[in-house]
This record gives sequence, structure tokens and C-alpha cells, in this order.
Amino acid sequence: MLSFLDLLNKFGPMNESYKIISSSMLYWFSQKKWFVFSVLLAIFLLSLSTPVGLTLAGYHSLIILLMVFTLVTFEPIPFPAIALLTLVLQVLLGVAPPDVVAESFMNDAVLFVMGSLMFAIAIVHQGLDIRLAKIIIKIFGKSKKLFLAGLMTISAILSSFLGEHTIIAIMLPIGLSVIKNIDTKQTDGRNAVLLTLFSVGYGTIIGSIGTPSGGARNVIMINYLQEFSNINIDYWEWMKHAYPILIMQLVVAYFVLQFAFPTTLKNIQIKRYKKKISKSTTRDNINHLFSSIIILLIVISWFLFNEELGLGIIALCGALIFMICGMVSWEVINKNTNWGVILLFAATISLGFQINETGASSWLVTKFNALLALMPESSFNISWSFMAILTGLTANFFTSSATISLLGPMAIELQPSDISFALSAAIASGFSFLTVISSPTAMIIYSTGLVSTKTFFKVGVLMFTSSIAILYLMSKFYWVTL
Amino acid sequence: MNILIAIGGKEYSKPTLDLGMKIANAFEATTTIAYVGKRISQFSEKDVSVVHQNLDSRELYRPGVRTLEWAYDFLESKKYIKKDKSIAFNDHLLIDEENSRMRVLLKGSHSNKIDLILRTGEIIDQLRSEVATSNHDITIIGGGGNKGMHHKLVQFIDSSVMVVKNYSVNKQYKILLPVNNSTGSNKAIQIAEKFAKSKKLPVEIITVLENKSSDEKLRIILEKTEQRFTNAGIKNTATILEGNPVKTVVKYAKDDSLVMLGVSPKNPFLKYFFGSKPISIAQQCNCPVLIAK
Repeated sequence: MLSFLDLLNKFGPMNESYKIISSSMLYWFSQKKWFVFSVLLAIFLLSLSTPVGLTLAGYHSLIILLMVFTLVTFEPIPFPAIALLTLVLQVLLGVAPPDVVAESFMNDAVLFVMGSLMFAIAIVHQGLDIRLAKIIIKIFGKSKKLFLAGLMTISAILSSFLGEHTIIAIMLPIGLSVIKNIDTKQTDGRNAVLLTLFSVGYGTIIGSIGTPSGGARNVIMINYLQEFSNINIDYWEWMKHAYPILIMQLVVAYFVLQFAFPTTLKNIQIKRYKKKISKSTTRDNINHLFSSIIILLIVISWFLFNEELGLGIIALCGALIFMICGMVSWEVINKNTNWGVILLFAATISLGFQINETGASSWLVTKFNALLALMPESSFNISWSFMAILTGLTANFFTSSATISLLGPMAIELQPSDISFALSAAIASGFSFLTVISSPTAMIIYSTGLVSTKTFFKVGVLMFTSSIAILYLMSKFYWVTL
Repeated sequence: MNILIAIGGKEYSKPTLDLGMKIANAFEATTTIAYVGKRISQFSEKDVSVVHQNLDSRELYRPGVRTLEWAYDFLESKKYIKKDKSIAFNDHLLIDEENSRMRVLLKGSHSNKIDLILRTGEIIDQLRSEVATSNHDITIIGGGGNKGMHHKLVQFIDSSVMVVKNYSVNKQYKILLPVNNSTGSNKAIQIAEKFAKSKKLPVEIITVLENKSSDEKLRIILEKTEQRFTNAGIKNTATILEGNPVKTVVKYAKDDSLVMLGVSPKNPFLKYFFGSKPISIAQQCNCPVLIAK
């Protein structure tokens, strides 16, 4: 008797077109298996009855959330496709009518993502790294250790205002210039390279929690707080909460890196680099001066006018001024802006709003609180730890802004009148120390080919745990004094 | 003929480059050397691209460029390409040709038929796309990756695939040519003949009988192949073996064998879920294996 396999083989030898079609189908399946999985999972969940206490629209919004998590984590389809799918499903599954979905699709947080990405490209295009390198060498160039500490500090300060994707693009060439030609086969040389790269990387990551404009997740959380709890946090208020954490994290990071990468730093070439960048043209000087004035104007505007104008509009103004002054062309901005990410953030923020509107976040929080009631410990400590660690870890595997756009409503729902939960969630999601996919900075450092995922994780575990501890102590003992 | 050589880290790519160039020279083929860099998440791909552009402008080349420079120097040192003092790698131009594909152009005139390509992304996807773009006939890759990767390469890349495993530049090799009645086997015979003739390598032709009705056909194919190689002036032996084809070929192949065999004519769905004999042979042999399509 013929077995099933023999039967299938009876089809062979197959004609060429059949082979091409079946191979293409198999290739599509092998590349899109996570998409197929997420669709099947959604169909299965849709076939189940709605959980007690949850509205049908709320249940459907959670199914879409699960799909988005799977699709963004494994990236089987392009981000713009995930964004469009999120919007289409919200309407098709009756989560919200088309007009409501369209309305929630665009707000100041989305404008901020768009503006800050465009503003970043305009800044990076000005070649400010040379100017910054000169300043850093002048202030911190007395010793190599001091230079690296300075590199980390300046990266953190600048990233807190201009965002990590801007600053890593400016600071990385400085870091790579001083470690150029170091022999990484020897431990001392390898550690010097890693110490330099991690100083820039950690400085940039840590800095992004400092102000609302440090990262899109901060602006998304501010928007959610305004919408859901009617609490306004301005630029200065955020800084008062977050900047002390930033400073403590910088000190910890310095010692963690010294411990992880012991090196004599003898191969770091500051003098040679200083000589190389000593010459600059008048044209460069004028360009740098104008760029600095524009950047300063935008940062001051964020401080003074964020409530009236919104952070997004101010960021857009930055890109606009650079374009009007002819300092960057639209072609450059268009080519280098990640439009897919903007669409995705807009769609996930829209979904975040619907999760809140349909009562799905309240339902999740009720379930969570019921679990907490069984614990002997104080519910504040447990729910805070759960929320901070969950958002921190999720952000490491899912990226921070998307995490906050989806989990933010639940963090607020846990303690609607206490901003410490919302702020902690946003700040913890910025602790992207564990994986290279967690933030643009981590991915850029990894893309140099000099840092392995294993090294990143090993050092990151130390930084992540100490950062969570610092955040806990600050929220418990410092924020209550503000 | 077009040949694609995929390289990774410097330490592991020497044998792949060496054998790849020997095959390319034998066929007088145009050669593409491709470095596939790490896959970047969609969240960060534009940020990484901006940083890389910035690094290029500061002469801090992205990692793949340095590997391609090393590959170019290696080919010059092994005299696979003519040394030309007017060509300096430091003067290269990076041409952004399409999504995640860049061509490294070296200034100065050079007649070598070598293309240097930098790609970023998932390796199977990138090599598949490269083969589709330039119509490569053979893709050559190091054997360091996992077995699943070799399976996918053979299944999804639209060219013959050579997996270079345990190859030593100084060793004297002989071609091991298992033949059968498939179209892929005919292609393998053609490649083996040309390569053996050009590099003056001896060929061991084998066929494995499985006690099936097709056994007589295989004997005839073996005889015809033996005749073909003898007529071409190639030193050869012809042997009939019996048993399980995968186990028999793997046992017969030695460290100094270059196995060349045809792709399985099996249904692609069956191949995907259950593998095929050539794929198993490529996975289990501890020597370079070429699967001809």
C-alpha cells in the first residue's frame, strides 16, 4: 500500500511552474510564520466567549493588542503594515467607529515622534560631532578616564533634551575615532573599545529619561495622563522627578563599566584625534553656530511653551527652521525619516486609547488587584514592582515607546491619582540595557560589530537591576517630597 | 557564469573565499563577494543608516566594508585578481543601490570581474535577493552556520549551493560525484567535469543502489558518466555502492573529498518538512558539498 509520502511523491517529477509556485508559497510561509500564528491565535480567541466583566469591544481590543505584540516582536510584516492592520481591525472588530479611530490616530505625541525624528536628522546633518569633540577634549581631555566619563556625561545631558537617536549619531563617531585601529584580540584593547562604546551608549540611554523630549515614550505618557487622569506634567515637573535618577544612574554606570571592562586605556588615541579635528573652515563654524542657536531655541521653547504649543509642534518647528534656512534638504529628511515607525506609534497610541475607552485596561487592573489581595505584602510595593519590572522587561524585548503606548493606560489605571506609577512605568521602559533590539542606541552600538549580544546582556543585567532599585528608592522617598 | 561568495567574519571566510575563487576561475565566472551584516530591527534601521552615513563621512567605515577590504587583499595576495597599484581601498565609494544593498566601488581602472556587495538583514533573505538580482549560478557559503540554515539555503535559493566545510587551502582534493537519474545530477556532472578539467582533479564517480527497479538505470548512468570523464581526459574511478544513499555517501566521503551532487527532484513541501537526501548529505559530511540545481 502506498504511504502518504509516496503518494505526494507520485506528483513528481513536477513541472517547473508547480515547483516555483510551491517554493514561493513555502518561502512566504517560512518568512511570515509569526503573522500566520498571530492570525490563527486571534481567530481562536475570537471564537471564545467574552470574559465576564469585559465588554465585547474591550475583549477585541485586547486581542488586537496581543496580535500587535507578536507582530512587532517578530517583525514578519513591515511596520506600516502592522500599523494599518491595527487601524483596520479596530473598525472591523467593532472596537471603535472609523471617525473615533481616525481621531485617536493623530495627537501631540505622534507629532512629537514625527518632529523629533526629522529634527534629529537635521541636527546630525550639520556635522556637530567635531565641534562637540573639541569641547569634550577641552574640558575632559586631561586624562583618558576623565575623557570617557565626560563622553558619557555629555551624551546623557544632550540626549535628555534632544533624544537618544540624535545623540548616539553624533557621539558615536567621536567614540569610534579614539578607538580606531585598537587591536581587539588583546583583552586590554578589547576592554578599551567596549568601555568607550558602552560609555557613549549608556550615557545616551540613561539621558533619555531626563526630560519629556528625551524619548517619545515620555511624551506619550504625559499625553495619556492628561487624557485619562486630567493630570498635567510640564517639562520642568518631569525634570524634577527624573533628573536626580539620571544623575544617580550615571554614577552607577561609571562604576559598573569600570568593573566590567578593566583596562589601562593606553591605546585610546585622544591626542591624535585632537590633531585630526583641529582644523575647521569658516563655513563650518558659521554652520555650527547657527545650528546651536536653533537647537537652543527649541530646547528653551520646550521649557517655556510646552503647555501652549505642545512638545510635538515645537519639535516640528526645529525641523522646519533647518529646512527654511536651507541647512538640510527635504530629500535628506525624507530619505532618513522612519515613516514606518511614525505610523506604528500613531496606530499603537490609537489602540492604547481604545483599550482605555472600552474599559479593557480597568478590567485587567481589577483582575490584577484581585491577585494582589491574596498577597501578604503591602499592595503598593508589589503592584509598583510588578508594573516597573514588567514595563522595563517588555521594553527590552519590544522597544520602549511601543511598550508605553500599549501598557501606559494600565499603569495609570493602577493608581489613577498617583503620578508615581505612570512616571515609573515611563522611566523604567527607558532602561533598555538588556537587549540590542530595545532601543536605537543599543542597536547602533551593536551594528558596529564590536559588541556582542551576550556582552550587552551581561553588563545590562547589572545596570537594569540597579536602575530599578534607584527608581524604587526615588519614587518611595524623593518623589513624595516634591 | 555568475558566482556568489558569501562571507562573514575574517577568521572563517578564508577557506570559503579560496575555494569559491578556484571555482570562479575554473568557470571564468563573474564573481560577487557579498558580506551580509547583522539584521537591524525595523525600529532602528533608519537610525542605524544615519549613523553609518555619518561614520562613512568620517572615514570610520562600517564593519562590512573592513571585511570586504580584507577579502580584496586576500584575493590579491593569493593572485586570484591582478594587483593594481592605482586601486586603493581607502578611496572606495559606497553606492546605495536598493534597500539594504550597497556596492563598494574602488576607484581606478580594474579589469577583474569582482563585485563587492554589502548587505544587511536576514541571511537567507539577503542571499535569495542577491541571487535574484544578479542571476547567480552558484552560491558559495561557509559551513559554520546551523544545519537549518543550510537546509533553507538549498530549498529557497535559486542557484546551485556549495557549503564549504572543513576546507584546507593546502590539501589536495578529489571530487566525489554521486550520480543518479535526476536533472540536478546532470548539472552536477557538468560542473564537476569543468572544475576537474580546469584544476586537474581526480573524480570518484559513485552511484548507490537501493534494491529498486531504477537500479539498472543508475548502472547505465554511471557507465556513461565514466565514459564522459575518460573522454574528457579526466582521471576517474567508477564505483557501485549499495545501501542507504545518505549513510553510504557520508561514509564514503573523506576529508579530502569535494562532494558534488544534484538537488532532489522531490516535492518542495516534502523537502521543507522532511528534508532530502542531498540536504542530509550536506549536513552530515565533514567536507565541502555542492548541490547543483
